Amino acid sequence: MTRSRSAAPPRGDNAASRAATVRRRGRSGAPALLIAPFLLLFTAVMLVPIGYAVYLSLFTEQRSGLGFGDARTVFTGFGNYARALGDSAYRTGFLTIVQYCVLYIPVMLGLSLLAALLLDSVLARAKRFFQLALFLPHAVPGIIAALVWTYLYTPGISPVIGALNSAGSHLDLLGHPLPAVVNMAVWEWTGYNMVIFYAALQAIPREVLEASVVDGAGPLRTALSIKVPLIRASITMVGMFTVIGSLQLFTEPMIMYRTAPAVVSSWTPNMFAYTAAFDRDDYGLAAASSVMLALVAAALSFIVTRLTRGRTERRAEAAA
Amino acid sequence: MSISPTSARSRRARLAAVATIGALSLSLVAACGSGGGSSSNGADSGPVTITFWGWAKGTQDVVNAFNSSHKDVQVTFQQIPSGVAGGYAKITDAVKAGNAPDVFNVEYAALPDFVSQGAVQDITKLVPDSLKAKYLPQSVELTTLAGKSWGLPLDASPQALFYRKDLFAQAGITTPPTTWDEYLADAQKLKQAEPNTRIGTFFPDDPSTLEALSWQNGAHWFTGVGDTWNVALNSPETKRVTDYWQQLVSNDLVRVQTSFSQQWVASLQKGETAAYVGAAWGGGVLQSDLASSPGAAGKWAVAPVPSWDGKPASGMLGGTTFAVSKDSKKAKAAVEFATWATTTPEGIQARIASGTSSLFPADPELVPTAKSAFKTDFYGGQDIYSVFVDESKAILPDWQWGPAMSVANSTMSDAFGKLGSGGTIGAAVDAAQQSTVNALKTRGLKVAQ
Repeated sequence: MTRSRSAAPPRGDNAASRAATVRRRGRSGAPALLIAPFLLLFTAVMLVPIGYAVYLSLFTEQRSGLGFGDARTVFTGFGNYARALGDSAYRTGFLTIVQYCVLYIPVMLGLSLLAALLLDSVLARAKRFFQLALFLPHAVPGIIAALVWTYLYTPGISPVIGALNSAGSHLDLLGHPLPAVVNMAVWEWTGYNMVIFYAALQAIPREVLEASVVDGAGPLRTALSIKVPLIRASITMVGMFTVIGSLQLFTEPMIMYRTAPAVVSSWTPNMFAYTAAFDRDDYGLAAASSVMLALVAAALSFIVTRLTRGRTERRAEAAA
Repeated sequence: MSISPTSARSRRARLAAVATIGALSLSLVAACGSGGGSSSNGADSGPVTITFWGWAKGTQDVVNAFNSSHKDVQVTFQQIPSGVAGGYAKITDAVKAGNAPDVFNVEYAALPDFVSQGAVQDITKLVPDSLKAKYLPQSVELTTLAGKSWGLPLDASPQALFYRKDLFAQAGITTPPTTWDEYLADAQKLKQAEPNTRIGTFFPDDPSTLEALSWQNGAHWFTGVGDTWNVALNSPETKRVTDYWQQLVSNDLVRVQTSFSQQWVASLQKGETAAYVGAAWGGGVLQSDLASSPGAAGKWAVAPVPSWDGKPASGMLGGTTFAVSKDSKKAKAAVEFATWATTTPEGIQARIASGTSSLFPADPELVPTAKSAFKTDFYGGQDIYSVFVDESKAILPDWQWGPAMSVANSTMSDAFGKLGSGGTIGAAVDAAQQSTVNALKTRGLKVAQ
């Protein structure tokens, strides 16, 4: 921009200022034009539905007689919110998410970090193959994966459970849905996050690594003391995104719901909202519980962005 | 990373392709959404096309037979999952979204929920008394709410016990149990004879069997008195049933498996489950689920469902109706189709001849039609319909379903999930009583307990 302005041939003052105005007007028009499609879509698929959900969450339907007449829609204020919070099933859903995160995140992060470090080490052969092989599960749609895994968990038809039973171990994964769901998620997401970590590892300046070799650090020492600290920002980011993603847990348990009696219809907050809307026809309750879930996710996202921004700013200061 | 001109171009081509696919799938969605509702407006000369969603066995054959014998009305059928397996959610969504089918199947137990949600059209004017007189009175009662007709009954579903003759004989059981005490004793005999065999299954995902058994024992879960609902899910009559089944589950005398799951079918195939407490329609389900397993045919038999005192008594387990959706403008054609499917020999014949259905017609005059159309090889030539006829006469009268069965059912199946970890069947019904009462009160209805 600067270069093109200085390169412009000198003109009269008037002409120059007119050109500048045109340029300025153009500059404000172009961003508006470029941002319009996003804004339009954002409004249509985000703001409007959220607004509608908030609206729905403030009303409830009332009937008279034995309930077979016409319904009246009644404003209840925060009544639906109070009902959702007062329902132990909804609160238990959040507890499930917490347990899920505690089990899932360390396992998944550990495995994907390990895989990335192995791929990044000098010893690794056939890097491209392993990268693809590890990433492949993520390319399988979640519903398909859940169906396949549910089949593998079901006693009586699963070859895996059959083999385990004949080996004397009686694994009841349908009775313990949490490890079962965590296992699906680990299978699905380890490869994906491995790619992120691998990319971050590739970005580490080679001279740093060379320096560590010169200082006599072995591959293990380099990995733990040099590489991992240098990609800590990526690890934090992936961890936080995983927490937020976990709040939305729905597909896998929903597929297991009909097969595993231990997965209840309100196993996660999302399933609670789904059941309220489509099973119990209580749209007010469904909307209220979704809005609260969205608020929790928004709060977490805000914290994440503050944390990560703070980190980079601090690092920039340290570098200066 | 730099993008070479060629790769940029190919990327643009790919984007264009993606955009085209996106547009295509959008137009496909639009085509699905309109649901073929274009051909009926006004008094044009072409046939009226109605859309129909259902899952009952043999329905496609019924629709084919109807379409080939009717010129004025044509039916477009879409198979959906069964109600509890997601079919009801699908219908409810479609009604909310304004693209519901003209007519759909709904079970007796779910009909009050649908009416209460405003998803179903009042078809009183289209159902003359002469038509009502054709059906079993119990079926008409269950489709009449607040004095209006909301659906046409397809089947009455008397309960029955399906069992493996060979496995029973191996355990020294010569006649099928007629009382629940005998059923318990036989459960023990079967397990003793073959430690891996159980007499039956408790379905933790679907409380409808428990509901029918409560009905059989004289319970009345819902009674509308004036404008007040009397809700009594956990009455002493129900409690006797829940305690009994809890005993069976606790002592590992029945399996706990999802209804009609692969797991259940596998255990039937292996002879690990020797009997099934079901209803008339279960005969066709059993037969088609076990069609591929060698040696199953001829070994199964049907007996009346055991009762508490040995006298015939039955509830209704399931049972399907045809309901017209709220916004359908083709109610007349929809009722015409539903009438044909439920009260004509051709309609019943087409369904039973599919080999997958053994339903008991709600129109008793059609029982002989059903009987002659059903191939009894699987049941060793047994006249299974005569068992159903006797049981249908023993269905206890005056049962009512209330408008919060979806709440009651989801509460119960959630609580049944805890059976392995300290939960009980009785506690599940207690919880359902509570949540049902709360749900009705939330809707502003009067409730007595």
